[in-house]
Amino acid sequence: MTAAIENQNKNEFDQAVKGSSLNKDAWRRLKKNKMAIIGLYIVIIYAFIAVAAPILPIYSYKKIILDHQHLPPTFTKTAGELMYEKVKTRMLIIAKKRGRTELNEREQKKLEGLRHKIKTEVKTIDGEIVKLHERIYYLGTDYHGRDMLARIIYGGQISIAIGLIGAIVALIIGITVGAIAGYVGGAVDNFIMRFVDIMYSLPYLLLVIIFMAMFGQNILNLFFAIALVSWLTVARIVRGQIISLKNSEFVEAARSIGASNRRIIFKHMVPNTIGIIIIFGSLEIPAFIMYEAFLSFLGLGISAPYASWGSLVGDAVEGMADFSWRLFFPAIIMTIFLFSMNFLGDGLRDAFDPQSKNKL
Amino acid sequence: MADKILEVKELKLHFPVYDGIIFKSQVGAVRAVDGVNFDLYKGETLGLVGESGCGKSTTARSINQLHRPTSGEIIFQGKDIAKYSHKEMLPVRKNIQMVFQDPYASLNPRMTVGNIISEPMDIYAKLGIYNKSKNDIEKRVEYLMERVGLSHFYKNRFPHEFSGGQRQRIGIARALALDPDIILADEPVSALDVSIQAQILNLMKDLQDELNLTYLFIAHDLSVIEYISHRIAVMYLGRIVEIADAHDLYHNPKHPYTQALLSAAPIPDPEIEKNRERIILTGDVPSPDQERFGCYFCERCSHKMDKCEKNIPELKTINNTNHQVACFLFE
Amino acid sequence: MTNNKILEVKNLSTHFKTDEGIVKAVQNVSFDLAKGETLGVVGESGSGKSVTNLSVMRLIPSPPGKIMNGEVIFDGEDLLKVSDKRMQQIRGDEISMIFQDPMTSLNPFLRISTQMMEPFILHQKLKKKEALEQSIEMLKLVGIPMPEKRVHDYPHQFSGGMRQRVMIAMALSCKPQILIADEPTTALDVTIQAQILELVKALSAKLNTATILITHDLGVVAGVCENVVVMYAGQIVEKATNTDLFKDPKHPYTKGLLNSIPRLDTKTEDRLFSIKGQPPNLINVPDCCPFFPRCDFAMEICKQKNPATTQLGNRREVNCWLYEENKEVNLG
Repeated sequence: MTAAIENQNKNEFDQAVKGSSLNKDAWRRLKKNKMAIIGLYIVIIYAFIAVAAPILPIYSYKKIILDHQHLPPTFTKTAGELMYEKVKTRMLIIAKKRGRTELNEREQKKLEGLRHKIKTEVKTIDGEIVKLHERIYYLGTDYHGRDMLARIIYGGQISIAIGLIGAIVALIIGITVGAIAGYVGGAVDNFIMRFVDIMYSLPYLLLVIIFMAMFGQNILNLFFAIALVSWLTVARIVRGQIISLKNSEFVEAARSIGASNRRIIFKHMVPNTIGIIIIFGSLEIPAFIMYEAFLSFLGLGISAPYASWGSLVGDAVEGMADFSWRLFFPAIIMTIFLFSMNFLGDGLRDAFDPQSKNKL
Repeated sequence: MADKILEVKELKLHFPVYDGIIFKSQVGAVRAVDGVNFDLYKGETLGLVGESGCGKSTTARSINQLHRPTSGEIIFQGKDIAKYSHKEMLPVRKNIQMVFQDPYASLNPRMTVGNIISEPMDIYAKLGIYNKSKNDIEKRVEYLMERVGLSHFYKNRFPHEFSGGQRQRIGIARALALDPDIILADEPVSALDVSIQAQILNLMKDLQDELNLTYLFIAHDLSVIEYISHRIAVMYLGRIVEIADAHDLYHNPKHPYTQALLSAAPIPDPEIEKNRERIILTGDVPSPDQERFGCYFCERCSHKMDKCEKNIPELKTINNTNHQVACFLFE
Repeated sequence: MTNNKILEVKNLSTHFKTDEGIVKAVQNVSFDLAKGETLGVVGESGSGKSVTNLSVMRLIPSPPGKIMNGEVIFDGEDLLKVSDKRMQQIRGDEISMIFQDPMTSLNPFLRISTQMMEPFILHQKLKKKEALEQSIEMLKLVGIPMPEKRVHDYPHQFSGGMRQRVMIAMALSCKPQILIADEPTTALDVTIQAQILELVKALSAKLNTATILITHDLGVVAGVCENVVVMYAGQIVEKATNTDLFKDPKHPYTKGLLNSIPRLDTKTEDRLFSIKGQPPNLINVPDCCPFFPRCDFAMEICKQKNPATTQLGNRREVNCWLYEENKEVNLG
């Protein structure tokens, strides 16, 4: 008795109706959260820089130039000028100690030689001939004379990659384990969850150290070591969601049309946990970066010539007072990224909140 | 005379109750369905009515094995399907489909409506039991949507963009996808507004006439059941206490529980309501977790006799009619 | 005629702000309640029946809701203008409310005694011992067996019907002048429903409490209410006495609703009458009669302007352009 709806884009009052999926709704809610959007932009900028690193006009991050050791950050002075100033200042101090206010001939000659070197020295870096001392190090240099800006950018590449890949691996393992435990239930669930409980109670750091000691200290092993323990929380959360979805009517409906268990888990239940997964994933990434930073800080993580934000901070602790820029810049850059990811994660959680979905 | 399409014999479904800290053992059972017998004839609607906890939903879910029966027989197409494995049930499921109560929970919110309706066909096409091409399936989805009163332009929309009544139509379209013989309708209109309820009931009636469908229609609203059913079975605490033709049940209810149920149902007419003699049952529905040796209803029955506490009455036919009652008053 | 009106609601409007627009949940609702009267408020989902009564009690969460305008005159005071403190005094003491789901409206962590004693202690300033005695008396009044023992139980130890009785006991503890019951029996079985409705009828007669019964079930209204207000899409479409409404419904919606209910007592034809279309989407509703897309009698003006209220005498009102200028209308 009900006629089919003729015009599909108007409602009964002749008002236009836009179709929308749940994801579009969530995106709309996210857009309203200013902090989350700022976080999103910042994260995108970071990601872009990290990916574009090789083509950015920055100096090499690994070429050691001892002459340029510990140059302070500056916007205007070239490396050459800084080196010159440094040497000159040191000479004056020594002269003062010996009771003189001026430099003697020997010292002045040294300065001349230095000035000449600064003007003329060239080095070949990555196939290019570079007038070294005309470089301007915006963020200063480290112990080996490497450019902090480049190291931070390449360090970011590694830190973000670790965060992302670690999170993805943790999610994949965690979702699979959690889904199976939640859906099958019974003894399987019991067994898996007790295993998770035991893993939780082990000292995480110890495990990672043992793992790295056994299998060597390189980036790949670092990934695995971290991913090994981080899927636990995801598994628990996904299991909880699956258990609550197990008894919902659309799952019953799927069973009654002959769907296999695998289809039900992966086509029906897991997509309905996407909200939680996205939220969790976005919060796992900063967690991973922190893990790795801590490990590198302890010297267990990234080793030279590579850098990560954590290793940069670790290297900078010694000499913190004298060369504060080595600590300050990586720390700030990393902190901003973590804040942004957290704001984004919070915003995602609010956007995907099932309560707000059904608000009136 | 129509053929029997389904026979249910002494169906029991007991949910075990476990206790124990590390090793759980069974300490008891919730006897949701405790000995149910009825037949279903092709083309008819058998209404299953009762209050919450009487086992009507569980009975329906045992028939299509959403719950595994504890004991008893379910004869469909000459075979007992009660103990079938998942694989054996697959061809059976094609012929016994279900419509669910909650239009908001019975559709996967992440699937488009078109996919929801085509899913049964996709699954069975993959199994090789349903020989239709992708194109055919798509055409059938559009046909089904129009048949239940929705424009097929909406097949790429998501469930939350529809109203309750429209979602229920989608659920019905899904149930019809494989062209089943029997549809188990578990309270399909209980969650809908009254004005929409009538639309859906009319739709289901039309579909039954057109496709010669058999319905097992569950509801707790007596007037809805009386309208749509040919025969009605009244359940209490997991057992059927009375089965009769719809008209007969209303005009000659025999079992004391049926009488109480009918007298409690509100009628939208103030004159009648004012002058009604209401049978008010005392007490609450007891919990279905104990084994009983007497009539399940006797604690609340005003016609209780000594016999009732010690023996369980079976369904007996009255006077060679279609009317069966399980009560010692009629033996 | 003496003014024994205990509640006068005038032009009440409540709006909610959502992501997608403004939901005009209640629009220009006016009705009266006399002392001791039982008034039924009937409507389907989206009709605004619950929001109206929550507005009267000022229980609308704000944001996102807001009572835009209107007056609610109770015993000489406008409830929409009194202070929060005064409103707290009134709630539970002079106006009480019971809700649909007794499972969620009782606190599962507190014993019944604690919950029942609360209104006595708060409003009547009784001591604990007296409050307990009074609570037991109320439980007896609502028919809970062994009340002295059961008063110390937790909500989960009661069945659904019993819990609703406890809710009623709590609501009536301070002998309020008005009881608002929002779908009190919808979640209950039909045999329990009958018990609860009998109880509400008996108690409100005994205590001379005026009752507003909100429901979608016309059968319940027929049995319990003296006067009825029918709501649709946030507006009142018809008001009448119980007998008049069922015998001679004026608004096409009311008529359609009554016709689409299957009846136990009469033989229904092969097809149920049904109102075409679905309940309206209340977001950004334009100025028109909200029922017009579903109305068999819709005219041009219905699409353009919201109908004014027509008084039909004998406490009957209808909001429909068909009755403009008091025409005689046959709805067939």
